[in-house]
Amino acid sequence: MESLEALVAHIQGLSGSPEEVAHLHSLLKQADGEPLRAHAAALVPFLAHLSPETHSLGYLYLLEACATSGSNLSDFGGGDFLVTIAGFLTACSADQIRLAPDKFLNVCRVLKDQVMQLIMPIRGIAPLRAAVRKIQSSPEQLTPVHADYLLLCLLAKQYKAGLSVLEDDIFEVEQPKDLFLYCYYGGMIYIGLKKFPKALELLHNAVTAPMSMLNAIAVEAYKKYVLVSLIVNGQVPSFPKYTSVSAQRSMKNHAQIYVELSTSYSNGRYTDLETFVQANSAVFQSDNNLGLVKQVLSSMYKRNIQRLTQTYLTLSLEDIARSVQLETPRDAEMHVLRMIEDGEIHATINQKDGMVSFHEDPEQYKSVEMLEHIDSSIQRLTALSKKLASIDENMSCDPAYLMKTGRDRGRFDGRFDYDDYDSVPHKYF
Amino acid sequence: MDLSAVQAALSDKSYSALAHLCDELLLQAASKGATTDEWPYSVHLLAHLYINDLNSARFFWKSLPQEVKDTRPELAAVWRIGQCLWNRDYAGVNTAAQGFEWGPDLADFITAFLELQQRIFKLLTSAYSTISVADVAHFMGMSEEDATNYAVQNGWSLDAATRMLTVKKLKAQTNQKLDASKLQRLTECVFHLEH
Repeated sequence: MESLEALVAHIQGLSGSPEEVAHLHSLLKQADGEPLRAHAAALVPFLAHLSPETHSLGYLYLLEACATSGSNLSDFGGGDFLVTIAGFLTACSADQIRLAPDKFLNVCRVLKDQVMQLIMPIRGIAPLRAAVRKIQSSPEQLTPVHADYLLLCLLAKQYKAGLSVLEDDIFEVEQPKDLFLYCYYGGMIYIGLKKFPKALELLHNAVTAPMSMLNAIAVEAYKKYVLVSLIVNGQVPSFPKYTSVSAQRSMKNHAQIYVELSTSYSNGRYTDLETFVQANSAVFQSDNNLGLVKQVLSSMYKRNIQRLTQTYLTLSLEDIARSVQLETPRDAEMHVLRMIEDGEIHATINQKDGMVSFHEDPEQYKSVEMLEHIDSSIQRLTALSKKLASIDENMSCDPAYLMKTGRDRGRFDGRFDYDDYDSVPHKYF
Repeated sequence: MDLSAVQAALSDKSYSALAHLCDELLLQAASKGATTDEWPYSVHLLAHLYINDLNSARFFWKSLPQEVKDTRPELAAVWRIGQCLWNRDYAGVNTAAQGFEWGPDLADFITAFLELQQRIFKLLTSAYSTISVADVAHFMGMSEEDATNYAVQNGWSLDAATRMLTVKKLKAQTNQKLDASKLQRLTECVFHLEH
């Protein structure tokens, strides 16, 4: 094995063009492994001679050897080493590090473990955010770093920071576990930001994702899914057809108490629901869902008032209070005011007579803003349907798929059936 | 730690940009492991309240260590305003804001912040057809006299006998303008549907 100095010299010399980097890569692969890790402590000063942007690949190999060498990171000057890793992740060149993705992922994992050990998750947020963009081959790809990043955002309570990663639509997933964690943590971030419809989408994906056996992440996601469904829609929909068989069969058994909560909610009586929640608060607390359950409880008032708008044109504050089980008409007034402020109801309060008049939604869908909104939705849908068409085409060219459908089609009669051949895309031939 | 950007924003009175700026700087500083003793906590918290981002304000407060909360009375005063906003106790917001000696950094910021009265007035206009003078005064944090004058100036009418104000609704403005690019988009859409 070459000496360290020679290796560093190679790194500095061969980081110019893509061909040079490829040559460097093969040299590094030869030098990699236990011998490099054994010299871990000696590597650190060499890092100072390299630049993270231009010598990214070499830097990555050396850094990864130090980080995974198993020795205590505080030997390298603890906090400073974290700063080195953080600096590298932010500054490295995406092209170079994509040649060694496993090593890059290892470094990210080490950073996350370290900041969690130091109980300072906020330190890892900016570097991991940069790392996600560097290792993704496109914004549609899900990487293991996504889940780690969202976890740190949750622990540090930097929910808004998590949004930057959640706003991309994901189309490519490699490891199922990444997807489950991404959907679960992403759902929790949206819950924290009170964007319940988006949380519902993500949790729905976690619950209906293909799985041959139930996993713990999906079960926890289901519990939150039930609660968020109640807050947004007032009911929990049944499993769609594409849900896995194992989920449809056994998911509810693991979340029995949540199913009972949703039954109690649908009866519409606040006091009953309140009693149920209090009786089972220990269970909810141990699932870390007590806060969310309380939000479900307070959404009951809102839902009951909304139900009233379907029957009455005007109603007195006293009647509202009595119907939704609020203490005083003043409470009812404050509730209605709050709902008007949040846009959840269209009404006017008349204090003189103590009455509330309910109105129709004044939106006429004629304004420029509404047109823009509809327009951008149509564009997104068009792009999505093009994407679906291309995925469908790719799949129907897949040999494994063709074999399966060919087998199922049964034996040939000897005649060509032109209709059958129409669906086979021409590019296969 | 380089806080000059924050100072610049404060002196420019670009308050709405402050929250995002502070958040970013905090993340960058944390990743470099810098200590955050001189961090402008009160400004950061007030910036969140200014853009009405109560969730971020709450989480920011929760993430602060206890000793930071105890040793900074200005920060605690800003948080009291935040609590009132969270509980929608608008009268309380004004009491909390006016009942504290603000340092020079924050004084201008607080005055700008109190302009949220306009927002409350708009809410009252849209939500009520008639409302008592006492309630208006309560929500706006003004005396009954001032509240009545403010309301009458905006077109509300006062019934002195019952101390009730009748609200004048604003006509909703709708813009209806079409331009050529919409036609282009419509064509693309129809083309897509045909194929």
